[in-house]
Amino acid sequence: MSERKDIVKREEGTERVHRIPMAAPLVDIYENDDEILLYADMPGVDKDGVRVNIDNGKLELSGLRKLVVNGAANWEEFGDVEYSRSFSVPQTIDINRVNAELKCGVLHLHLPKSEAAKPRQIEIKAA
Amino acid sequence: MWTRIGDVNRMFGDIDLLQSRMSRFFDDYDRSNYGRVLAGGDLPLTNFYDTGDHFELKVELPGTAKEDLSVKIQGNYLEIGGKREANVPDGYSVHRSERGSVDFTRSFTLPSEVDAEKVEATISNGLLTMILPKAEAAKPKQITVR
Repeated sequence: MSERKDIVKREEGTERVHRIPMAAPLVDIYENDDEILLYADMPGVDKDGVRVNIDNGKLELSGLRKLVVNGAANWEEFGDVEYSRSFSVPQTIDINRVNAELKCGVLHLHLPKSEAAKPRQIEIKAA
Repeated sequence: MWTRIGDVNRMFGDIDLLQSRMSRFFDDYDRSNYGRVLAGGDLPLTNFYDTGDHFELKVELPGTAKEDLSVKIQGNYLEIGGKREANVPDGYSVHRSERGSVDFTRSFTLPSEVDAEKVEATISNGLLTMILPKAEAAKPKQITVR
């Protein structure tokens, strides 16, 4: 992430610098009684390049992909990219139990709901 | 009068700087989707490299396991096909579904013939990399000048 800051500072001069473009990864969001589940497509990103940050009700995902390139390119439809997207998360998420795994280039993010927020059946007592 | 022209020039200079910054901003934003537009919709994006004695093809295939892929080669014709189901896990309701299911075929005419016996393909982190060694006759050769 720090390399992006350097490039912004140097931009004031006349140098042409290649910046890594940002793209929003496509996501699927599912929910059941216990958790919110998020799948994000980040092909080519390995585990070290992924960052998941939750702060103050805001979830930020980012994944950095750098391609190892051999030889001359005949065509390139995709390149280095920084996947980045942020969401608001409801207060009902238990931040300590959030876990994530990266499988086949897809980030599976589990956001378990805190106990107090799970739906409960209210029993009607006859009076 | 002359000082005014200096001001006008400076204003144009600032506008040029703003314009170059804005166009660079849009370039970066569009570049990630450019290949997708060229490829026509939601086909997986590919990169193709030539290292001299072999070709390398990289394909973006997030969430696709190797069982769902089929790769066919004949001479200098390469065809890649695959699918990924959009499977909603059981018991969950859907808030947002952008990834969709993918069922695609892309074919390429390679610049020269390829030795089909020695082709290797590996998929890791959702990125398929294929190494396609060129047929002997197509490899570059040094010619000595007498």
